[in-house]
Amino acid sequence: MAEEAAVPMNPALEGKVYPPVPFTVDPERVERFRAAFGEERDIVPPTFVTAAEWAVFPGIIEDPGLELDFSRVVHAQQEYEWRRPLVVGETLTVRPRIASIREKGGHGFLTVETELVGADGAIVVIARATLIERGV
Amino acid sequence: MPEIRVRFEDLSVGYEIPKLARSITREDVERYADVSGDRNPLHLDDGFARSVGFPGVIAHGMFTMGHLAHCLTDWLGDPSALSRMDVQLRAPVFLGDVIVADGRVKALDPKMRTVVLDVWVTVDRDGSVEYPIRRGEAEVRLPAE
Repeated sequence: MAEEAAVPMNPALEGKVYPPVPFTVDPERVERFRAAFGEERDIVPPTFVTAAEWAVFPGIIEDPGLELDFSRVVHAQQEYEWRRPLVVGETLTVRPRIASIREKGGHGFLTVETELVGADGAIVVIARATLIERGV
Repeated sequence: MPEIRVRFEDLSVGYEIPKLARSITREDVERYADVSGDRNPLHLDDGFARSVGFPGVIAHGMFTMGHLAHCLTDWLGDPSALSRMDVQLRAPVFLGDVIVADGRVKALDPKMRTVVLDVWVTVDRDGSVEYPIRRGEAEVRLPAE
């Protein structure tokens, strides 16, 4: 298969803030998430936060200004800071922004920082996902 | 309600948490794609995965991290004690792999009652050990007695 010419991501989008999106910690989805990991206790698994990140990632990945080729993307690094566990049934506000865009060793690195904010306005979780766009 | 069952006083540098193993099936990967919302074809379409250089679909890195978090919450008893995780996803996980999550205490702060652990995930493929997560870090905050 012929390789298409790779276009690097647009570094001017570093710092871009995307619109906040509401995310409800849906009981049925939490149940399925627990089942996926064999979690038998009545908890919201800590990495359920990933589902909230995926509520906003498509809007970033598909941002035409970013020029990201998602077919070249692999997930390279993930950080979570939890101030408290998520609570089943609560609705959080998911606030994403592009924390950094870098190029290193012929690859592009995109870090998205996402805050999950509770109904009281306090930050519940900060998530930092770094994606590699291979071979730019 | 689950309770935190780890006592700060029982821990010291080098303390090893119980390992947690699980095998990875295609159904696991498809189920995780549905529930997480990450439907990257790399995890769902063998033809696509081969076109980008893998032998077939690979598991989500976040499944590996989620398994590691499960290992930590199994040990802790309750997720409220887990305050931070930071991992690099270093090697792909294939269908049929058995991933093993593990961790060891590397620092303790008695004043803050925080514990920092080295955490990692291995896969043993016919005696050759790969690290889907190699030098991850987790921070745990334990309540006062």
